[in-house]
Amino acid sequence: MRVRIPGLYIVLGLVLAGIIHIIAVLTLPMLAPKNAHARLAALGPANNMMELPAAAPGRQVMPMMAPDVRYAFCRFDLANGPVRLKAAVPDDLWLIALYTPEGDNFYSVAGADMKRAEIDLVIAGADQTVEEAGADAPESSDEVVVVNSPVTEGVALIRAPLVGPSRSARAEQALKTTSCGPYAKAG
Amino acid sequence: MTSTLTNLPFVLSSSPTARREDKATQSMRDLAYFIGTFAVALLLGIGSAWYMIEYGSPLTTTKVGPWASWDSEGKPDADPYTRAHVARSGRLPLSSTVARYFVARTDSNGHALSSSCEYTIEGSPLNARWWSIAVYDEYGGLIDNPTSRYSFNSEELLRHSDGTFRINLASTARPENWLPSGTDGQTLILMLRIYSPRETDSLGIGLIPRERLPKIERKSCE
Repeated sequence: MRVRIPGLYIVLGLVLAGIIHIIAVLTLPMLAPKNAHARLAALGPANNMMELPAAAPGRQVMPMMAPDVRYAFCRFDLANGPVRLKAAVPDDLWLIALYTPEGDNFYSVAGADMKRAEIDLVIAGADQTVEEAGADAPESSDEVVVVNSPVTEGVALIRAPLVGPSRSARAEQALKTTSCGPYAKAG
Repeated sequence: MTSTLTNLPFVLSSSPTARREDKATQSMRDLAYFIGTFAVALLLGIGSAWYMIEYGSPLTTTKVGPWASWDSEGKPDADPYTRAHVARSGRLPLSSTVARYFVARTDSNGHALSSSCEYTIEGSPLNARWWSIAVYDEYGGLIDNPTSRYSFNSEELLRHSDGTFRINLASTARPENWLPSGTDGQTLILMLRIYSPRETDSLGIGLIPRERLPKIERKSCE
């Protein structure tokens, strides 16, 4: 009888280890206090476009940031309605990406895939409609991109990869002209 | 009830007190077994979760030589390991359908990258709109150097006439593409980021042919 018990404990231990493993994997995203969303939230208010300082030794908002990409971000909060992001995209390399607080990149668009050099993006919650955009300004309705966000709060991040070391001033200048704020009917 | 305890003197006696002691010892041992099992399970469960989230596993990552890449990084429908990895990393990676990130912590022979050694990174152009190789310390921070050079990207790299390139990763100045690795004798991490790869697999994930990834050769060490 006795001899069998350690075997039982081994099985019990493995089952327990499996359960603990699953719980750890599933709860870790929520228990990561220094995730990117938290790091960006510490920098400023929501619904506001901010440029990140160029990554340099000892000066990085996020680890492993690209030293040859310039970034601007807008932490969006849809609690009071949709949020509008506008940018004049100077080259094909730009990437605009939307993230949930856990870092899921649920939408992205590259400069090369845009029909126009200007992007007008409306981020709306699942229960928010922005159909008025077309009704109020029919001539511009096809220029507005409406993205349905699965989350009320998240991050929009614009990446401007540099085409050469001398181009950083130009990229930073272009990022300054981007905007983010509460969506108001086009009129 | 007898097999393992028989060599203890008090078990040999058959008095009622001894039997009670025997029972007490047995339940103590059961408790010890249970606590031990739980401790081992905790260690195993958390340890394996941590390892698979931090370094990946064949389920979640593609390994090519020294390079490793999370296949579903940034995708909203990614598996729990990948999502935990991204949340823990503190980064905001682009979805793997838009960009691929490859990380190397060793050279092509499996030796950990260190700034006390000198390396050459040799490769051919990648089929993507933009790509860049950057070097970091073990915490993902950029390394201070007199030329403020932290990376080489597809637009600025000096190439040979056949399109191939060589980056010299070294602590002191080198000709051609010199990527400074600092002078602190520290552990290094290389990251190759590839934006908008032109080939994709059936899931839309950017596809980088294995042989296209650069080779990292150690030349000499201090």
